[in-house]
Amino acid sequence: MPDRDPPASTPEPLLSARGIAKRYGAVRALEEASLSVRAGEVVALLGANGSGKSTLGKIITGITRPDAGTLTFDGAPLHLSEPAQARRRGITAVYQELSLVPDLSVAENVWLGHEPVRRGGIDRRTMKGRTAELLASFAGVFSVPVEPDTLVDSLPPSERQLVEVVKALAWRPRLLVLDEATASLDARQVDRLFELVRGWREGGMAVVFVSHRMNEIFRVADRAVVLRNGVTVGERRIGEVDEQELVQLMTGGGAVAAIALEGHDAPGAAAAPPGATEAPVVLELRRFASGVVAPLDLTLRQGELVGVGGLQGQGQSRLLLALFGAVPHQGEVRLEGAPVAFRNPRQALRAGVAYVPGDRNREGLLPVRPILENLQLPNWRRYGTPLRMERARRDAAAVVADLDVRLASLDEPVANLSGGNAQKVVIGKWLSRRPKLLLLDDPTKGVDVNAKAEFYRLLARLQAQGTTILFHSSDDAELLGLCQRVLVMQDGRVTATLEGDTLDQRHLVAAAMGAQGAGAA
Amino acid sequence: MRPSSAWLRNHTYLVPLVLLVVAVALNYYFQPNFFQPRVLNGNLRVMLPLMVLAAGQALVIIAGGIDLSVGAMVSLVNVLLVTLVTRESGPPEVLLAVGAALLVGAAAGAVNGLCVAYLRLQPIVTTYATSFLFSGVALAVLPRPGGALPRALTTFYRSAPLGVPATAYGIALLLLLWVVLRRTRFVQYLYAVGGNAAAARASGVRVAFTRFLSYVTMGLFAALSAMMLTLSTGSGNSRLGDAMTLPSIVAVVLGGTRLAGGQGGVVGAVIGVAVLTIIRNLITFSNVPTWYQTLFDAVVILLALAGPGIVQLIRGRRA
Repeated sequence: MPDRDPPASTPEPLLSARGIAKRYGAVRALEEASLSVRAGEVVALLGANGSGKSTLGKIITGITRPDAGTLTFDGAPLHLSEPAQARRRGITAVYQELSLVPDLSVAENVWLGHEPVRRGGIDRRTMKGRTAELLASFAGVFSVPVEPDTLVDSLPPSERQLVEVVKALAWRPRLLVLDEATASLDARQVDRLFELVRGWREGGMAVVFVSHRMNEIFRVADRAVVLRNGVTVGERRIGEVDEQELVQLMTGGGAVAAIALEGHDAPGAAAAPPGATEAPVVLELRRFASGVVAPLDLTLRQGELVGVGGLQGQGQSRLLLALFGAVPHQGEVRLEGAPVAFRNPRQALRAGVAYVPGDRNREGLLPVRPILENLQLPNWRRYGTPLRMERARRDAAAVVADLDVRLASLDEPVANLSGGNAQKVVIGKWLSRRPKLLLLDDPTKGVDVNAKAEFYRLLARLQAQGTTILFHSSDDAELLGLCQRVLVMQDGRVTATLEGDTLDQRHLVAAAMGAQGAGAA
Repeated sequence: MRPSSAWLRNHTYLVPLVLLVVAVALNYYFQPNFFQPRVLNGNLRVMLPLMVLAAGQALVIIAGGIDLSVGAMVSLVNVLLVTLVTRESGPPEVLLAVGAALLVGAAAGAVNGLCVAYLRLQPIVTTYATSFLFSGVALAVLPRPGGALPRALTTFYRSAPLGVPATAYGIALLLLLWVVLRRTRFVQYLYAVGGNAAAARASGVRVAFTRFLSYVTMGLFAALSAMMLTLSTGSGNSRLGDAMTLPSIVAVVLGGTRLAGGQGGVVGAVIGVAVLTIIRNLITFSNVPTWYQTLFDAVVILLALAGPGIVQLIRGRRA
């Protein structure tokens, strides 16, 4: 093991990525990313939301092709066009979004795509035997019995995650990418996984470890590589760095970058409407929980814009869906003082709660239908029977003009619109209803800068009208610039509520990563 | 082409309309007396029951479903009608029979709707299964073909008040019904549920109830179709409607309604029936074996299913 500074690594790295760039349309995911991992080394890959760490992971494992940059593996250039190629070279990944087929057994899943063959048929005996051997490394930490013949469908998430690890191991990788692989594991399982990781390291395996839990990084990694805005901004040996320094690297030296949000004169607390604390309470949650979302208390006042942040997929969407009645919840909800328990979105809508989904095409729009019908879908009730189409059309035209949606005609299918304009339609359909509470689930994902600015103006207007907004965003700058208060979630738990002095990127990132003593309560 | 494509999309029946003109021209070429009232009326009498049925099928398909039991429903209502009505029946019995027919149609549709919307069974499998149920009941009601309607009724169906065939009034009424329906919340919700059920739900639409209603409406249309068909044949047969199921779907597809749901309309389906019927005529005139008709139906459905995929394949190659 070399003791010198990491940039001047002496032995040839097993994997080296240099100058990697990747764009998705107008969004630059990676600009100048580099990463090198030696055999027998565990490297943690860190970064805030949108830093590009998932994209880099996907490029290494052949899921995504880079636009520029060079990859070398084991001394030879690496050109990957699909994950299967990466696996054959000895690069495998364990992802958080599981890649298991529920209707197949554990053994069938583990060997999917490279089943042992004998005399032209699948050698089930060998397959099961080797699966059992691999499963043995997790013996004693399974919460339910897991055998090679167990159907994956019958396993809880934590055991599925372990099967996913076993599946990656079956390829006998030389480089293993663990992407948030501990998210659904319990403490004992994490301990065992880390023990195994240390064993693999002794055996010469290289491990890239992506995690949103700061303490895990310190427990298992040798080195940390930090990405910020698609650029590798630094790397540190774990023994020579503390949490604060890593957070600083991730956020850019601790200074909050000036976020110029057009149409929002002053970011943060200054934008709070006068006397906000005296405004009537609109939403009150007591021990509200749903699925991964741990019980939480929350009070929202009229006209407030409260952010929900943290790394992606920490239960933020689930929280909003539960408030909207789309998934079941426990605990107490009061809307304007009256207790409510929405069992479906329809009841929530009737009560004045509206929801804008993050995935426009999945839950927001009828892509093949005209813009007119998309805008009026929740509102037809107002137009009588037979529907007064001329009025519906006039009202829709007013909304479209108001939001400055650029379109050829109201009869155009909404699928023809750009992302930003389509998102305006999703919001536009609620606009005329003047919702009391608007739930926004990462609404600006994949929306260009101009459309974002217009969107912020729209939020400000809704706020001025007295709409209370609960706003989940994976864009930290957006949360910090727009909200007076931001809840930070990690693993379904609200780990910090940032306001006033603590409402800056350092606190946000620190709380999102669970860094010690960083998140103000 | 760009600005007109949106317009075309909302007037999906224009393509089938062109098909219709071509088909009529060809038919006229083979059968110069095509436009004589007697021949024309004969064609319309054949078309009307299928048009009504295809209209209902279009509604179900728009909402993202499909109904393979429509033929059996028509048979069921047909045998019910000839059992309740005899050649000597007066207006009260006829009205009673009409009421019973609508009730049975709606009930049959409700069975499909319950299974598909609330028990979440696959529409294709469910309605295929219920078609045997309805056929079985029809056979029990009328084991052997027979029965008759009051002569006045069958004569009326063939008459031409004010010089226009009665069936033409029927088609006009059907289109008028659609114009009215198109301006109801119900039909808006059909398009929404077929276009994206998740988005419809998130917008407060009662998705399951809308699906259920689409099948009940289909049942009512099947009952209406059976009434027209019974007027046309004047007798009952427990298998009378069986052969109408596939054509009802082919007509909807020919009319520009996509099987994936969320698009299309009744106007296209009505034109689709006309095109389909005329093509059948052409196949008869050209002295080719009748199985070409089945082949044609199959090719239309296959093309409709494969169309989007083929377009994507070609685009993908170019990109």
